[in-house]
Amino acid sequence: MSTTLDLHCHSEASEDSRAPVEAYLNWITLRRAERPLDGIVLTEHRQFNRDADYRALEDKFGLMVLRASEVETNYGHVLVFGVNEDILARFDFANIRLDAQELIDEVARLGGIAVPCHPGRPNIGLCEHYLTKPALQNVVAVEMLNGGSRKGENERSEELIQRFGYAATGGSDSHLVSLIGLCATRFAAYINSIDGLVRELKTGSYEPVDFRPKRKPVARAVEAEAK
Amino acid sequence: MAVDYDPTLINKVFEVTDPVTVTPEMIQKFCQGLGETNPLFTDAEAAKKGPYGGLVAPPSFAVTFRNGRHFFQHVPRFGRAGFDAGKDAEFVQPIRPGDKVTLHSHVKEIYEKTGRSGTMVFVVVRSTLKNQNGEVVAHIDHRFMNRT
Amino acid sequence: MKFEDLHIGDTLGPLELFVSKDQTRAYARSGGLDAPRFTDDEGAKKEGLPGMILPGNMSLGLLAKLVTDWIGVSGARMVRLGTTYRVPVQPDHTLTLSGFVTNAAPGERIVEIDVWIENEDAERLVTGTASVQFPSA
Repeated sequence: MSTTLDLHCHSEASEDSRAPVEAYLNWITLRRAERPLDGIVLTEHRQFNRDADYRALEDKFGLMVLRASEVETNYGHVLVFGVNEDILARFDFANIRLDAQELIDEVARLGGIAVPCHPGRPNIGLCEHYLTKPALQNVVAVEMLNGGSRKGENERSEELIQRFGYAATGGSDSHLVSLIGLCATRFAAYINSIDGLVRELKTGSYEPVDFRPKRKPVARAVEAEAK
Repeated sequence: MAVDYDPTLINKVFEVTDPVTVTPEMIQKFCQGLGETNPLFTDAEAAKKGPYGGLVAPPSFAVTFRNGRHFFQHVPRFGRAGFDAGKDAEFVQPIRPGDKVTLHSHVKEIYEKTGRSGTMVFVVVRSTLKNQNGEVVAHIDHRFMNRT
Repeated sequence: MKFEDLHIGDTLGPLELFVSKDQTRAYARSGGLDAPRFTDDEGAKKEGLPGMILPGNMSLGLLAKLVTDWIGVSGARMVRLGTTYRVPVQPDHTLTLSGFVTNAAPGERIVEIDVWIENEDAERLVTGTASVQFPSA
């Protein structure tokens, strides 16, 4: 039995999102035919929402709500799954200059997994950093599909992932209710907890899935003022 | 490493702008720039029968009021030129022709993050717009992004 | 349009809108925004931009208009609008403006709406959320 999770989204706990978790779950329920998710993983910016309790909402909607973090490093942004007290004691998530190699190694040692996200984005993605710095060691998985990408960025991510043989994940990177679940990760295994998610992420038995609607093309305006 | 600034400047109101009297022409010009056609904003006669009993400015007119140059002398500068990164506007009541609008502004928050443009310092300036009766018409949070 | 008739998932637009350089200049000048980045390509390039861009306030105004056109003359009022400028918006392109009703608070008679502007490549350039309050029944 497989499990499909949106591994990257932001609720109103992040400074740049106003989306309530309940509205996310309601939207997934409404759009289940197009976005068949079993749950979401909240990856709030530069923090871990330690005290949030989404159990009542999970019961109401029959969807899983797991908690993780998106932190900022010298190699771009990184999703941290399996955040625990040891990891929080080891790293200041609010620091936007974390050392990526240290984060990857230490998070793994302390029982979690660090997954670099949107590698194709300028400045905050792996691709650009790999041009000038050595490739990171011990990376298991990298986000390939990101719902907030500009044209070409997901393609750049895919190229990098293939070149280095990383496992690939997907997530919507949603900051808006209606964008939840547009990209996700389908796991071969059944997952029902953050420990299960961390365990499966380490196996590599999953693939990114794309639920973005194909929009009808919009014609480019004639370059009237070309001269 | 946190952003370096004087924390006492947060929430301090440095300046109240001179009142700007809103004219029907200002509203009309603004509407033309946006291609506005809603009669509540463009047709004084039709607007009389509407919910406001007269012509009002479109809500987004509220974001066009600007702080005086003196305000920014108090705002710390980080890196190169600032860009407008976004706004959060709360529209408390409509702005009408004849209103005399003043801005009461303070620095609400300063924080750092990284994005497509590199390391950025965000300075959030909150402006409260008041009319000639001292009533609040809007609160506007301007997020200025500075690349460092 | 009445609060009772709305549903989560209702759409605003999509509205395809061609925004010309002249319209951008007209908007910029009406608001005293005469910086080169809003008025001429060469000046904008000197600031490291790909060419002239729309002022953030103009994008905000276009999204506000999407919402107030949807409201029409019904007596509902947009009470809040927040925007994030993700990617500079360039004139002489066809922009697509869309919105969705995402939440409703029956007590306050307020609906929450997601709005955004996309370019021809379906890149979301500007995103935002709006709140619209309806009069008592």
